[in-house]
Amino acid sequence: MASTFVRQKKHGASLILSAPLIIFAALFVAYPLVSGTMTAFTSKSLLDPTDTFNGVDNFVSLFTKPAFLNAAGFTLSFAAIVVLCEMVLGFGLALLFDRKFPGKKLFFTLTLLPIMIAPALLGIMFRLLLNEDIGAIPAILQSFGLSVSLFSPSSVVPLLVVLDILQWTPFTFLIIYAGLQSFPKELLEASAVDGATFLRQLWHVVLPVLKPVLFAAFFLRAIDAIRTFDVIYVLTAGGPGTSTTTLSIFIYKVAFEQGDFGKAAAASVVVLICLLPFVPFIVKRIASSGMEGK
Amino acid sequence: MLSRKLGAVGALLVSATLLTGCSTGGSTGGDGSGSGTVKMVAWPGPEGDAMKEVVDAYNAGQGKEDDINVELVLLSRQDTFSKETALMSSKSSDVDVYWTASYNVGQFSPSLEPLDDIDTSNYFPVATEGLTYNDKLYALPLDVSNHFLLYRTDLIDGLLNDPAAVEVYKSISADVLGEPREPVDPQSWDLDDYKAMSAYFSKSTNADSPTQYGTILQAKNLLYNTMIWNDVLWGYGGNWAEDGKATIDSDAGKKAVQLYADIYKNKWTSPDSAQAEFPETQAALQSGNVAFAMQWSAAYAALNDPEQSPDIAGKIGIAPVPGGQTHVHALSVSLNKYSKNKAAAKTLLSYLATTEAMTAYAEAGGIPAMPEVLSQNEDLNPAFGRVSESISEYGYSEPVFPKTFQAYSALAEALSGAWVGETPVNDAVKNANEALQELLD
Repeated sequence: MASTFVRQKKHGASLILSAPLIIFAALFVAYPLVSGTMTAFTSKSLLDPTDTFNGVDNFVSLFTKPAFLNAAGFTLSFAAIVVLCEMVLGFGLALLFDRKFPGKKLFFTLTLLPIMIAPALLGIMFRLLLNEDIGAIPAILQSFGLSVSLFSPSSVVPLLVVLDILQWTPFTFLIIYAGLQSFPKELLEASAVDGATFLRQLWHVVLPVLKPVLFAAFFLRAIDAIRTFDVIYVLTAGGPGTSTTTLSIFIYKVAFEQGDFGKAAAASVVVLICLLPFVPFIVKRIASSGMEGK
Repeated sequence: MLSRKLGAVGALLVSATLLTGCSTGGSTGGDGSGSGTVKMVAWPGPEGDAMKEVVDAYNAGQGKEDDINVELVLLSRQDTFSKETALMSSKSSDVDVYWTASYNVGQFSPSLEPLDDIDTSNYFPVATEGLTYNDKLYALPLDVSNHFLLYRTDLIDGLLNDPAAVEVYKSISADVLGEPREPVDPQSWDLDDYKAMSAYFSKSTNADSPTQYGTILQAKNLLYNTMIWNDVLWGYGGNWAEDGKATIDSDAGKKAVQLYADIYKNKWTSPDSAQAEFPETQAALQSGNVAFAMQWSAAYAALNDPEQSPDIAGKIGIAPVPGGQTHVHALSVSLNKYSKNKAAAKTLLSYLATTEAMTAYAEAGGIPAMPEVLSQNEDLNPAFGRVSESISEYGYSEPVFPKTFQAYSALAEALSGAWVGETPVNDAVKNANEALQELLD
C-alpha cells in the first residue's frame, strides 16, 4: 500500500516536473510541425488565405520544376564543402590553442568574434567591406596591384564559401577545443613513451577519443549549413539567376515574395523528411561513442 | 513503456492540432472608438524617415485635436513586406496601417480595407489608379518612385565640347553599333546612345576614359531591378503581355536582355554589378568610377549634396531614361482589414491625404504623389519638377494583375543570369515568358 502511494507520488511529481518541457514542445515544436504539415496540403496563399485542401499538388509542383531541385543541389554541395573545411580548420585551431603561448587569451577571444555577430549583420558588413567602390578589402587588394571582382558570377560562390568558413570555423573550433580540455593527457604521455609520433597520436589516440565531440560538431554545423540563409540572401539574394539559391532562400521567396504558403510549407516538409532519418542515427552514434569513452 | 511514449507523442500532436484549429479563426476587426493609438509600419530610408517627421508633427498638433496618437514602427527595408505578409497570413490586428505599394496592393487586397470614402482629388490620377484593384481603392499614394538617367555633367560636357573626343566617340560607336554616331546631350539619348556612351566611358574599350566604367547595371536577382530593366524593355517598344499572353520572348524582350549582356560582358559596367542594386549604384556614382546610371528618383538629392557626395556634388545632371520610358510606382499606406481601431486609422489616413501633410512630407525629404505639392516645393528638391513631368509625359505602369508582385520576382530570377551573360538570352526569355504566363493564367 505504502509502496503504491510512493509510486503514485513519484509519477505525479515526474508529470509536474516535465510539464514545462511538454508545454514548450507542444507550443514550439508540435504545433508549428502540425500546422506546417497541414498547410502543405492546402492552396493557402496571400490572395486566397483560406485553407483549401489541394492534395499533393504542392509536392508535385516542387518536383516537376527545376527550381526546388536546383536549390537542393546547391545547398547540399555548399554544405558539404563548408562543413568539411570548418571541421578540418576547427580541429587544427583547437590543436593549436591546446598549448600555452603568449597572448593566447587575446587570440582566443579574437578567434571567437565572428560567431558573436548576427549572420544578417555580418552579411551587411561584408557587403560594405567588399564593395569595389567604397569597400576596404578591394582598396587593400588594389594597393597591392590586385584587382578582383569578388561579386562576379565566377567568384561569388567561392566568396560565399570563404565567408561561411570565416564565420563558422570558430564554432567547430570551440566545440572541439572544449573536448580537448577534457581529454585525458596521460594517454598522450603513454603513447609518447611507446614512441608514437605526433601524427600517430592524432590518428590512434586523439581522434578516437574525440569522436563523439567531432560528431556533435559535424552534426550541428551540417544542420546549420543546410539552413544557410542570412549572409547569402543579403549578398546575392540567391542570384545571379538561381545559382546561389539555398533551400531556405527558396522557401522564403515562395512564402514571402510569391505569397504561396502551401508550396513553401510543402518544401519545408520535404526538407524535414529528408533530414529527420539522420537524427536518431547521429544521436545514437554520439551516445554510443560517449558510452565507449566512459 | 512504449505505450506511454506513444501516448505522450499522441497527446502532443492532438494538442498541437487543437492549437492549429484555434489559430485559424481570425476576426474581421472593428471601428473602435475613433481615438487612441494607431499603429503603422513603414520601411526605413528616405520615405520612412520623412513619414516619421510627418507623424511626429501630427502627434504634436492635429493628433491632439483628434485624440489620436500614432506609433510608427520602422521595419527593415528589405523585409517590411515579408513581415507584413506574415501578419496578414495570421489575420493579425497588431498593425492598423500597413506600408504597401502599387506593385503589391492587388496581392495584399484580401487583407486590406477599401478606402473609397477618403478624398483623393489632390493626387496624381495615375497614382491612385495604380492602387485601385477591382474598382476599389486599397491604398493612399505616399511617395512616387520612377527612374532617371543621372549623369556627370562635367564628363559629358567635356566630350561634347572636345572635337578630338568626338572623333574617338564616333569611332567607338561605329564599332559598337555598326555605324558612327555623333555624341548628343543625355536629354535626348536613345538606347543606342546609352550603349555607345557606356563603351566610350569604359577603360576596357577606351583607355583614355576618365572613368573606369561607363555605367553600372543593377543586375542583382531582385524584383526592384526588374523595374529598371523594364525601362529598357519598354524603350524598345516591348511590354510584359498583350491580350493576356506573355511577350517577354518578343524581339524587344530579347534586345533588352542582350543590351544588358553586352554591357556586362564588355566590362562597360563593373563585374560586381551582378550583385548591384540601389546602394551599389549610389556608391559607384559617388566614387566617380562611373559616368552615368539609370537610377531611382530618390537618389538625385543625395548625389548633389556636398556632405553625402563631396566628390561629385554639383556635377550630376538628370535626364529621362534612355529610350524615353520610365516605370512609375507609388509607395502607399493601407488600412488593415483586421484592425480593431479602423475609425481612428481612417482619420489619420484622411489627414495624410491633405496637401498640408504631404507638404510636410516633402519638406522631410519625401517625394509626394501630389502635383500641386511638387510644383510648389521645387526649391526643396530640383528633381520634383522632373518627377512631375516624367509621370505625366513618359511614365508607364506594368500590367496590374493579382500576381504583379510575383511577376517582378519571377522575371528577376529568370533573367538576372542572362543580364550578366551567364545564361543564353533565348533560354532566359523563354523561361521568363513561361513563368510570367503561369502567373497571368
